[in-house]
Amino acid sequence: MISRQIKHKFFTPWIFVLTILALNGLVFLAIRFIYGLGAVTNLDNYTPWGLWIGVDVAAGVALAAGGFTSAALVHIMHREYYKAIVRPALFTAMLGYTFVALAVVVDIGRFYYVWHPIVMWNGNSALFEVGICIIVYMIVLYIEFIPIVTERFINKINFHGLLTFLNKPVNGLLKYLDKKLSLTMFIFIIAGVVLSTLHQSSLGTLMVIAGQKMHPLWQTPILPLLFLLSAIAVGFPMIICESLIASRSFNLKPEIKTLSKLGFMIAPIIGIYLAFKIGDMFIRETFRYVLLFDSAAWMFIAEMVLMFVPFILFLSKKIVNSMSGIFIASVFVISGVLLNRINNFIVAYNPFFNPVKYFPSFGEISITLGFVALLVIVYRAFVMIFPIIPQENNNSNQNIAESGNTKSKKWI
Amino acid sequence: MIFCILAISILFSQRVTHNYSGAGEEQVGRDIKIKPLKNHLNTSLKCKTCHISEYPTLKDPGLMSCPRHSMYGEFPSSEEGPEVVVIDEMSENYTGVVFYHRLHSEMSEMGVGCTDCHHFNTSGPVINCRECHSNVRYRENVSVPDLKAAFHRQCISCHKQWSHENGCSSQCHLYNTPENQKNLTKDLTGKKHPKRTEPTKIIYEINCEYGNKVTFYHDEHVNLFRIECVQCHSSDRCVKCHDKKIKLSDNSKTAKIEKSFEEHHKPCFNCHKENACQKCHAGKEMARFNHGKSTGWILKSYHNRLSCMKCHKNQMPVKRLDRNCNTCHKDFVYGKFDHNKTGLFLSDSHKNIECINCHDKNDFTKNPECKMCHNDKFHPAHLPGKKRY
Amino acid sequence: MKDINRRDFLKTAAIGVSMSVFGTKFLKASDESPSGYRIGILVDTDVCVGCRHCEWACKVAHNIPTASLESYSDNSLFKEYRRLDAASLTVVNEFENEKNPSLPVYVKKQCMHCEKPACVSACIVGALSKLEDGSVVWDTKKCIGCRYCMVACQFQIPTFDYDKPIDPQIRKCDLCYDRRKTEKLPACVSICPTEALLFGERDEILRVAKNRIKRKPDVYINHIYGEQEIGGTTWMYIASKSFDNLKMPPLGNSPAPGTSESIQHGIFAYFVPPVTLYAILGTIMWLTKRRSNENKENRIEFEQEKKGVDT
Repeated sequence: MISRQIKHKFFTPWIFVLTILALNGLVFLAIRFIYGLGAVTNLDNYTPWGLWIGVDVAAGVALAAGGFTSAALVHIMHREYYKAIVRPALFTAMLGYTFVALAVVVDIGRFYYVWHPIVMWNGNSALFEVGICIIVYMIVLYIEFIPIVTERFINKINFHGLLTFLNKPVNGLLKYLDKKLSLTMFIFIIAGVVLSTLHQSSLGTLMVIAGQKMHPLWQTPILPLLFLLSAIAVGFPMIICESLIASRSFNLKPEIKTLSKLGFMIAPIIGIYLAFKIGDMFIRETFRYVLLFDSAAWMFIAEMVLMFVPFILFLSKKIVNSMSGIFIASVFVISGVLLNRINNFIVAYNPFFNPVKYFPSFGEISITLGFVALLVIVYRAFVMIFPIIPQENNNSNQNIAESGNTKSKKWI
Repeated sequence: MIFCILAISILFSQRVTHNYSGAGEEQVGRDIKIKPLKNHLNTSLKCKTCHISEYPTLKDPGLMSCPRHSMYGEFPSSEEGPEVVVIDEMSENYTGVVFYHRLHSEMSEMGVGCTDCHHFNTSGPVINCRECHSNVRYRENVSVPDLKAAFHRQCISCHKQWSHENGCSSQCHLYNTPENQKNLTKDLTGKKHPKRTEPTKIIYEINCEYGNKVTFYHDEHVNLFRIECVQCHSSDRCVKCHDKKIKLSDNSKTAKIEKSFEEHHKPCFNCHKENACQKCHAGKEMARFNHGKSTGWILKSYHNRLSCMKCHKNQMPVKRLDRNCNTCHKDFVYGKFDHNKTGLFLSDSHKNIECINCHDKNDFTKNPECKMCHNDKFHPAHLPGKKRY
Repeated sequence: MKDINRRDFLKTAAIGVSMSVFGTKFLKASDESPSGYRIGILVDTDVCVGCRHCEWACKVAHNIPTASLESYSDNSLFKEYRRLDAASLTVVNEFENEKNPSLPVYVKKQCMHCEKPACVSACIVGALSKLEDGSVVWDTKKCIGCRYCMVACQFQIPTFDYDKPIDPQIRKCDLCYDRRKTEKLPACVSICPTEALLFGERDEILRVAKNRIKRKPDVYINHIYGEQEIGGTTWMYIASKSFDNLKMPPLGNSPAPGTSESIQHGIFAYFVPPVTLYAILGTIMWLTKRRSNENKENRIEFEQEKKGVDT
């Protein structure tokens, strides 16, 4: 199994649909930057955060957790068996965090000051920690991605025309980077895992300061722990889901065996998460809010069901070994975590004075969907340019054989 | 005559204006020149009303900074006070105020009196507001409101519903030139509060288990029991009478004050026992006070013409007196007694008879009896002399 | 419902505090003890007449366009409950007075300037700061417009210019920072005709407030809103009816940023936990790598594993 660039037709009807979605998002994006946040969003002085923070940022970061969970599994635990999943996971994380950063730029009122947290520090702020960690982690992810770039382009730089003179120095630079990085990569890998642990949990701390404005079902001081656990829990399902979709889309043979093995690790993690979540509910006696059966309670129940069903599914050997079974179970986890983030940031946020309960506007949804569509398009383009998706050896392209995964010095 | 009053009032207002236009100097902790009340040891005031310190001396009286309504003071009558006062120094966004002092003092006499506004005054001339209330808002001692607030709080205790257009600037902050001020002062001179009509009888219709009608004879309380207005009306505001005229932004509400049980009964409980509900609450209108009916002591001839206080002293609530004549008539003792004082001039034949012959067992509360000497004569058909008054 | 919420939150805070045992003595905003001169402002709702001159003065002082002062006597505005927005840093609302319907209760609303402000703790770039005198001010040069302060504020005070694409501002009362530089009182305090807004040192103001309640127990309820609420506030209120009925949020006495800062400092105590995690992960990496190398030397096992991978 070697990661190679995909040879496949780029345009399909789905890409067309996604392009329309992306363009639709772009229109609203333009309105947002010309007329301000008020023109596009349903946000007001009582609900300052909405869909973009809840889904684009919080859920986005959670769903990109595959990057650090796979890195921890393969590089820190040295389970080389799963090496094939590292590249897609790393790339998804990189892309995911890039879009998270873009979403932040769109959401903050003074987007041109987005760099301020780098120089203006407030150690008391959970948001500052999230921000700085995401920035640093993004840089780490880009560094981790460099070997893929060097693998693709070393000795293959071919600028045309006036830029021809650049060929040699750029190639030299790539070679230099490749050499140095292979020696130092472990620093970045560990850093990536540490940074992820920190900001995944701090995303939970974000809403703790809202105090009574948060519904008691969700407001708990162990929110950071819950966020971290759920992020770890959603990491592998995300990889599984993505891999199966990619295989289908590119007509590749799905690596069901590797994925199933990965799948067996998910149930215990979800189990721990659910134990903490339910335990917290009983310690703080918040179950009585569930028994009210109002809209918040139903959202909570839905969230719990979406996590509990895959917990059962992943325990079953039969389901984990079947392609559709593991796919469905993974989708459950993903939607469970997504709903958890939506609940935490939107549903649970219910301040003392709130005349209009927030619901995202068409513009907000459009921009979010636009980002997702764009992300898929970019993903598809990148896997066709760079050696990311692992494929069977038998129709191998000898160009990249030398950089196969059997050589243990290669990290990524 | 009118010209004379005008001249005096302008003079007065000029003086006051001059007083108020002092610079914004710091006034915290300034000594207030207060003279002690004359003979105040003999008044019914409690020492703690005015003094904080245990042993006040003339030099160091240890006075409380502001005892407000529990303060005791001596004030001139409304006629003696100034007619118009001009307050024009505190204004930043308003023009000055021509305050018609006489009208307000007349109104205050219906209730609390001068102390409603001049809440800190012991004796001598009325203390200027500025003595205690700094005209600088940024100050150290904030326990006392500043001058601007002090003025306005006096206004809003009655005129709380005024707003900028409807009240403040149409009633108070009117003038902007001295000329204008003169005219205003002229307009106000001689105005009087219309004489308020005192009710004689009020029948309250209420929902109460003890009876849904309470008959209150106001004239009795004022004329007979000699209760001062303040005793009941101390917390009354102008809105008590003026409620129908005051209108809110939506006219549905009137200024009627909803009082609690305690607030309602507080004036009554001053004298009447709290548990004697049936005394006032009845199913029908009640009759006027009748000394004979209420106490069993029918007032006749001489006693009927006396004021209550003559016998009951200045005590409120009145105390039940015992019926011995000696209680009041100290000179009704054996040897000194002159029967003529009772109004019955004894005939010569009765003059020298012992008291006990007619008044059985020397009990003078009972009717005298004639049977000791006469079998055919009875009191009061046959009298042992002539009744003179 | 709200009451239950509060109890929950207290419990939550208690767990948070116990978590902070693992934290360190790192300086927290919520730990700073008030020292020296602290401003206090007492809003005596019994004295307030609802003239709204404070609203006018506030706008003038902050260069916000406003109609003439005369237009502020329009009482019809009181019919609906108003909140702060980007163009009004303070508003006065009317509430019913059950004792005397013709004399409503007026309550001014503005930033409370908490002793332990959640917004200052929350702000990602430290654009909000608490000054020595107790006021909480906002720095336009730092703010990135993330609106986390609005999420954090328990009184829902900071507002945002949602309709401005460039230079939208977080707006809230700054206790007239510019005026106070020249030894002037905040505009609202200065203009108030009845000194319903009493400005002074916080302890002194508290003493006055307690005195007023003591002197008129039939008028005021025995509660100074802001004395204890979320660790105390600069603005404090006394009123004739329960603050729940005056739309003041019922808040506990523990500081709003307390729990969150405890967690934050627990995670980041002198960077010890992250560095420890880094070291642990590094050790695991090294240990497992050695094991996998040993495995590699064991040819048979290696072959087997390779076989497993390929098939």
